[in-house]
This record gives sequence, structure tokens and C-alpha cells, in this order.
Amino acid sequence: MTPLNDENFKKLERALTEAHRSRPEPSLGADWTLRVMRDIRREAAGHGQSMTSLGLDRLVWRTAAVAAVLALVFTGSVFFYSNQDAVELTSLLSNEVDAVVPLSE
Amino acid sequence: MSGHVAARRPGLIGVQTLVSDDLEIIRRVLHGEVDRFAELIARYQQHVTRITNRHVPPDRVAEVAHDVFVRAYTSLSSFSRQIPFEHWLSGIAVRTCFDFWRARRREELPVSALTTEHQTWMDHVLAAESDGQFREQARRQEAAELLQWALSRLSAENRLVLTLVHLDGYSVREAAGLLGWSVVNVKVRAHRARQMLRKLLVERKRQEDDTSQ
Repeated sequence: MTPLNDENFKKLERALTEAHRSRPEPSLGADWTLRVMRDIRREAAGHGQSMTSLGLDRLVWRTAAVAAVLALVFTGSVFFYSNQDAVELTSLLSNEVDAVVPLSE
Repeated sequence: MSGHVAARRPGLIGVQTLVSDDLEIIRRVLHGEVDRFAELIARYQQHVTRITNRHVPPDRVAEVAHDVFVRAYTSLSSFSRQIPFEHWLSGIAVRTCFDFWRARRREELPVSALTTEHQTWMDHVLAAESDGQFREQARRQEAAELLQWALSRLSAENRLVLTLVHLDGYSVREAAGLLGWSVVNVKVRAHRARQMLRKLLVERKRQEDDTSQ
């Protein structure tokens, strides 16, 4: 019954390291590579599909951005011109009122 | 301990040829010649198996190595070519092993998994006087079982760092590079994990000593 002091712990640790490094290497089997490649081809096909959908996504988002800018410009112009009309109408009405000769004179 | 991990080291010209070949294969794979990836698998299968075998149970090595290559393929476009493909692949292998342990609920092996033979083994190791006796003990099944018991009691992070730094012999910087973690993080974890291992072994030995008295 040896106590586990520093030196003994290091010795034990060295033995465990040795055990870890001498683990036998398992063989992967004859058709292992075929199975990996089958999954990779599947990934490749899926990736191709996602690339197509990625292109479509990009087109949709770009169109949406352009549409949003156009909508903003349109809203701004409507607001600007409708405001201008209101000013013109007000000035027109006020001119008409000014033009009327008061009855009391 | 560093350098232990590199088992296959071709000469300088061999390495350069291998690296330029790798780059050519990668270029072709990225241009749609998916089947060329099989050449990379053939070239690095042993390397990946060796890494995964040190981190996951033997019956799961094939499955994890499989995942490593699929992950390597899916992230091939992010391969920067500034480091050799082998190093890049090693990082993927280590991180896949980490994910393997993180995804599993920690299954601590019970103390009852250890028998008096493991206690005897510890005593024999500590009493070994010659190098031959020591190596003979280290090769015994009890050594591997005791190690698995101790590792099963660590978190995925501590387990991986302990295995990389203390058992595989990677430097802290190398381990940090493989894991994609900071050097400080790996250094702190490596220290903590080693302390935990020591605590586990001390407790285990004390329990056995108490029962045998």
C-alpha cells in the first residue's frame, strides 16, 4: 500500500499514458470508404440543390430591396407633391378672398 | 512528449509533393470532381483513424472517422491552404471527437467497474523497479480500464484537453490550435484536468487501501 505522493502519481500517470498510446488500431472494414463516399456524394447533391436555392434566395432579396427603395421614393414624392398642392390651393383661396371687395365700402 | 503524434513523416521532397498533390485534388473536388475526394480519404484514413482511436471508444472509431471526412468535405471551401491539409484535417478530427463526447450524456463508469485487480495493478506499477517491469504493467488491460474509468468522470472539455496534452503529448499551443480555443483556456483546463485525474486516483487508492485493511 504505497501512498500516492507526487512521484508516485507521476509514475502512475506515465503508465496510463503508455497504456493510452498502445491502444490497438481498429480496422475500418473493406466498405468503409465506399460508405463515406456515398454520404459525400449525397452531400454534394444536396449542396448543389442548396446552391440553386441560394441563388433564388439572393434574387428574391435583391428584388425586395429594389422594391422597397422604389416604394420609399414613391411615398416621398406623393407626400411632397400633395403638400405642394395643398400650399398652392391655400394660396389660391386666400388670393380669392383678398380679391373680394368688402360690402361695407 | 511532443512529436509523438506524427507517425508518418515522409522526407522534405515527399512532403512538398504530397502537399501540392493535396492542393490539386482539393481544387478539382471544389470544381465538381467529387469522386477525387476518395484519394484524400485513402491518403489520410490512417491518420484520422489514429486520432479518433485515441479519443473515442474502439467500437465508435469507424463512425467518428466517417463523420470527420464528411465534415472535411462540407467545409473544404473554407480550407485556407496556409496550413497543410493534414493539420487542417487533424483539427476537424479532434473537434469531431469533442462533439462526440459533448453530444453524449456523461456516462460515468461506476466504481464497481473497478476490481481488486486494478488496485493490484496500481501497486505493481508503483513497485516496478525495472523499465521492463513497468512497461509490462502499462500494457495490461487494467491500465486501459482504469484510464477509461477516470476519463469517464471528466467533462468533454477536460477529457479532451487531458488526452491531447497529457496523454498524446501535444503542446498547449498545438492543442489550442487543434481545438480552436485560446492558449490560456487550454492551459487552465489542462492543469485542472490533471488535478482531477490525480484526485480520482488518490481517492480510488485510498478506498481500496481502506477496504483491504
